[in-house]
Amino acid sequence: MNDAPVNSSDSSVVWQTLRCVMDPEMGLNIVDLGLIYDVSINGSKIAVTMTVTTPGCPMQDSLKWGVHSALMNLEGVEDVEVQIVWEPRWTPDRIAAEARLEMGLV
Amino acid sequence: MELSLLGSGRLEPLARFADGPASPTTRPARGPKVPECHVPARKSRLAETHAPSVTLPLRFIVTGLLSLFVGVGMIVARPEVLATYHYNQYVIAITHLFVLGFISTIVMGAMYQLVPVALETRLHSERLARWQYFAHLIGFAGMVWMFWKWDMKQVGHFGSVLALGVGWFVYNLWRTLRTIPRWNVVAAGIAASLAWLSLTVLAGLYLASSKCWNFSPFDPIAAMHAHAHLGVMGVFVVLIMAVSFKLVPMFTLSEVRSVRRAGWSLALVNLGLAGTVAGILLQRSWKLAFALTMVAGLVLYGLELAAILRARKRRVLDWGMWSFLAALVLLLVLSPVGLMLGWPGLPATLFTTQLETAYGFVAIVGVVGLAILGMLCKIVPFLVWYHSYSRHVGKAKVPSLADMSVPFCQAAGSLVFLGALAVVTAGALTGSEAGVRAGSLLLAAALALFGVNFAVVISHWIRPRLSPLMPPGPISVRQPALS
Repeated sequence: MNDAPVNSSDSSVVWQTLRCVMDPEMGLNIVDLGLIYDVSINGSKIAVTMTVTTPGCPMQDSLKWGVHSALMNLEGVEDVEVQIVWEPRWTPDRIAAEARLEMGLV
Repeated sequence: MELSLLGSGRLEPLARFADGPASPTTRPARGPKVPECHVPARKSRLAETHAPSVTLPLRFIVTGLLSLFVGVGMIVARPEVLATYHYNQYVIAITHLFVLGFISTIVMGAMYQLVPVALETRLHSERLARWQYFAHLIGFAGMVWMFWKWDMKQVGHFGSVLALGVGWFVYNLWRTLRTIPRWNVVAAGIAASLAWLSLTVLAGLYLASSKCWNFSPFDPIAAMHAHAHLGVMGVFVVLIMAVSFKLVPMFTLSEVRSVRRAGWSLALVNLGLAGTVAGILLQRSWKLAFALTMVAGLVLYGLELAAILRARKRRVLDWGMWSFLAALVLLLVLSPVGLMLGWPGLPATLFTTQLETAYGFVAIVGVVGLAILGMLCKIVPFLVWYHSYSRHVGKAKVPSLADMSVPFCQAAGSLVFLGALAVVTAGALTGSEAGVRAGSLLLAAALALFGVNFAVVISHWIRPRLSPLMPPGPISVRQPALS
């Protein structure tokens, strides 16, 4: 039973939990990919604003579901809202520098 | 902000699935739970899913691959079909096995999956698609069988069943396209391909009927060549061009560089095809001008694709993408051969008729077949992944798409496939049955390699490889870009 609200000090936990969600096509977690635009915690509710690598990405539903289920597993979380947005558009420039090297991106 | 999962009491539970159990002294009495891989997946459906159930495209894909294996086996058993003049019942039967059984089946299954997700809408009717599968299966299998026996009346009957299924397919996709949020070059190309598909099937029924009742004013060879170009160029090549404007940028982290150039390439190919087909059918010399228009469209397409690839961020291409690109290079190489064969007054010698056979074989199996196999190296892992792993994302460590495939089999399969094409083509050009048989055996070996790759991928469907979530190493947590 999730009975303890998440407080703002847990934001690092939320971000770290989001790093468990991998984009299977890119083989990288969605935080280092730069897909997460915003995370806001309001009591026991978490709202995530994210994007995917391309509009119509076939992994869109899976990633959205992954974010939802990963965060719902955090104690104290009762509601997770995941919103996919297209603006600003994702570009490979948003990938973390270390990950870019690892992936052989230019 | 630097975080170390292993050095933080609050974050320690995330490391629960590391090498050993966490020390009780560092475990907080109360802390955040972590995603657990052993928690049964929720049964609820994914929210806002665009795609149909993955079993729908997969049944088409598996049927298509089986047809390909059977078709290559038939050439191994009867190499004379490619080593002698092509206008006979066996060549027509095997051609329809490749075109309807292998290519069309896979293309239809892939389109049911691809169109909704790529164009951000929903498939109009999954139930209709399932009915279409059976109509298509009965239709093409019966047609191939009856072509082999050369019973054109029955070809017409089975062809009508196939046409009914194609009608459902086109209706289903057309209704789907009507709901897309915005039209673009991809959607326009898909719509054009659907129109060509309808025309190709009607032309096929017309040809079968004219064989039964002998009413056609057109030369039968010319009509057959027109029908073949409608199918290969109109349905498959136009579709490949259209979807590549979506898939190639997506897989290589690039973007369409010139929407105008992409649009013109499709427009020229469509315009050129319409004139070429009419010219072939009416046996007019102006078909060459339209053929040149079509080649100009292909050249523009090649330029746009090259620009997309030059701008890609992902430098390393996987073997599926290499196979797809090799198929497109074959298409460009084949274009001058098509122009030459369409030259007015070209004499029908032993060499030119065998060149026609080789041209058709490379167009169908080489260009379209290799492009499809390349894309399947991307699509099949996605479908299996979606079925086996999508609901476990965030709860367990799931493999990436690349982890599910066997790169060696993809690489070897692609290279052997290209070698096999060369040997079969040489055998066809020289009229050598031994050469055609050797080449088709090589082709079977290539397909076996692809088959091993697909079998390994599909094994994830039967036995998913889930493992406990492993925490990433010390990282720099990114701050929200929009906050």
